[in-house]
Amino acid sequence: MSNMKKVLVMLLSIVLVFSFFTACGKEGTPAGNKVDTKDKDNKKTDDKDVTDKQNPVTLITVSMYGGTDPNAENYQRHNAEFMADYSYVTIEDDSQSADQDWKTKIAADFAVGNEPDVIQYFTDANASDVLAADKFVSIDEIKAEYPDYAGDILASALKAASNPDGVSRAVPTTGYWEGLFCNKDLFDKFNLELPTDWDKMLTAIDTFKANNIVPIAVSLNNVPHYWVEFLMLSAAGPDGYSVVPTQAPADWAKGLDMFKTLRDLGAFPVDTDTIDNDLAGELFKNKEAAMQLDGSWYAGGIPDQDNTVLVSFPVIPGGKAQAGAMVGGISSGFYITKKAWNDPDKRDAAVKFVMAHTSKEAITDYWGGNGQAAAAVDPLSTMTPLGVSGLEYSSAATSISSPTDARISQEAYNTLIAGIVDVSTGAKSSTDLLNEVLAINAK
Amino acid sequence: MLYKKKWPLLVFLVPGFVMMLVFLYLPFINNIRGSLYDMTSVVQMPGQEFKFIGLENYKNLFIDPKIRIAIINSFKMMGLTIVFQIGTALLLAILVDSIKHGQQFFRIVYFFPIVISATAIGLIFKLFYNYNGGMLNQLLEHFGKEPINWLAPSIAFVMISIPTLWSYVGFYFVILLTGINGISDEMYEAAAIDGCSKFKQVFYITLPLLRGVICTCVTLGVTGALKVFDLPWAIVPKGAPQGVTHFLGTYMYEQTFTISNFDYGSTIALLIVIFGVVVSWIVSRIIRPDKNLEYGGAE
Repeated sequence: MSNMKKVLVMLLSIVLVFSFFTACGKEGTPAGNKVDTKDKDNKKTDDKDVTDKQNPVTLITVSMYGGTDPNAENYQRHNAEFMADYSYVTIEDDSQSADQDWKTKIAADFAVGNEPDVIQYFTDANASDVLAADKFVSIDEIKAEYPDYAGDILASALKAASNPDGVSRAVPTTGYWEGLFCNKDLFDKFNLELPTDWDKMLTAIDTFKANNIVPIAVSLNNVPHYWVEFLMLSAAGPDGYSVVPTQAPADWAKGLDMFKTLRDLGAFPVDTDTIDNDLAGELFKNKEAAMQLDGSWYAGGIPDQDNTVLVSFPVIPGGKAQAGAMVGGISSGFYITKKAWNDPDKRDAAVKFVMAHTSKEAITDYWGGNGQAAAAVDPLSTMTPLGVSGLEYSSAATSISSPTDARISQEAYNTLIAGIVDVSTGAKSSTDLLNEVLAINAK
Repeated sequence: MLYKKKWPLLVFLVPGFVMMLVFLYLPFINNIRGSLYDMTSVVQMPGQEFKFIGLENYKNLFIDPKIRIAIINSFKMMGLTIVFQIGTALLLAILVDSIKHGQQFFRIVYFFPIVISATAIGLIFKLFYNYNGGMLNQLLEHFGKEPINWLAPSIAFVMISIPTLWSYVGFYFVILLTGINGISDEMYEAAAIDGCSKFKQVFYITLPLLRGVICTCVTLGVTGALKVFDLPWAIVPKGAPQGVTHFLGTYMYEQTFTISNFDYGSTIALLIVIFGVVVSWIVSRIIRPDKNLEYGGAE
């Protein structure tokens, strides 16, 4: 009887062990079957076959499509699709909105060897800290092994996203433009013309001010960046704006002096020194403010897509820019780090991850009719009147200049931004501020 | 000698010391070193060299108008802390101690703000002060008044100080109330028999016997005032409006993390530590927490 018990126990144990093996062996099979029945693309089916043979890979990824970014949802959806397509890959994503604190954290991670496998990051001077660590793989090196890498990306976009040393490391998805958003219904209500020139701008400011509408929604303490760029571009023209001088150029100073003129006219909110950029944006969205200078990413969050239009920034008196001069460009892209590239298991997963996020389909999602697309996307049938207005505005640009922070050091640029409130109140001259900024940049 | 073997003491002391060394003293020394270099990034990348600039940042402290505002505001906050934070807490503690019923209720009520994070309090007050649709302006509009810019440069410091002071009253209240509870009831009873009024009991019994506790509160208060950061930053970041609400903590943070001037930020951090040590020493010299003990010893 005792022997019978032993045999029974052994038999049950063997059955249990085999059932474990069977369960483990079936891991991933449902996904594979799903693809066999649903996916008609042969290439993908081949990938599925490979999928089952791959070692499990955990890919650490970071992007700027986080927080309140309008593309956060698209990014997460593409991540989910990627993990469904490649069941052996697990993505550990730490995407956040790109602010100064985040940039500092990323720089620290790269310095201590804690960099992710794939990161969507800046490509211009904003990335100088991280580029100094020399931890990214160049696109040429990746293409040597994966010829289809960045295959959907326009050559011009790839060039625009190259790093300051001229080497292409990042695969871009979208570019951007900055422009003057106007609540056209408010202009119509007070029989005003859109501010296509400076006189019309001044008339609009006076009229709105008299009718308790904030003429221009801006937070000088938080995000005066767009005004800094357009005022300097307008005053100096694209050529004078794009140089990096060592002494304060008179044109730049003239542009920044306009902050005081506008402030004295009452163009900004009463609490422009303390209001958040988000709250300033709410003034515009709630029709309590008539104009707001912002980027293409802002368009998607505006509730009234029918009565909001984009207008070229009017040239300031004595400005050297042509009408239609625009600030914009491509300044970010997906990088693969050497850490992932040198890991045999992660290399392929990282490449496939970037390709999934930079395919024509993914770029169409990220673009969504706002800004510039890095691939030859098809026009969207669902574009709103504001989307069309943005497209017309950016298409009609007479020049496209990248913003100042793409050319000068972060510390210098941040000093410029931090000094704008003082320039607007007259506490500091624009020339003094610019000399301080350029001295920091020259260090 | 209570213990013959000393080595077990080391087992308990060394881990704490190592933690302090690694996470406090070494970063502090590194911070001093950083203030002497032109740090172009927050951490030194492999192969990157920072330029040695000596005492340049320390010289800048004397010509930077904003650090002057930050220092003045921090010292103003120290004074306000002693008067309004510890003063109010002392008053409340004495009043609550003198009631027979409901002590526990008032303890909870006054201590409650301490359990709310400073960021949340900051956000609440930010919404109170908001010009467009803020609670205070809604009340004004309800009574037919014009809205006020509650964070205008002329009044911003006061408006920031109110929640900063209010939010920590409960902390000192609990410390002082515990101190008062430690005073023997027999002293009050004896004084009452001798005809001493309640008011006089406060001055002749409570306050002298609370000297040590008050000194602790004042030391914590003034050093805490030097570290004020989260609440003002949550209400108006970057010393807004126009830099008038900068404190040493907020200015250090702005220089380090907003402007990326890491070396100057390190210099301000060292300045805060120096001020903290000096001010604590001055406070202990002025108040002399063990003065009562000295007299007791002489007798």
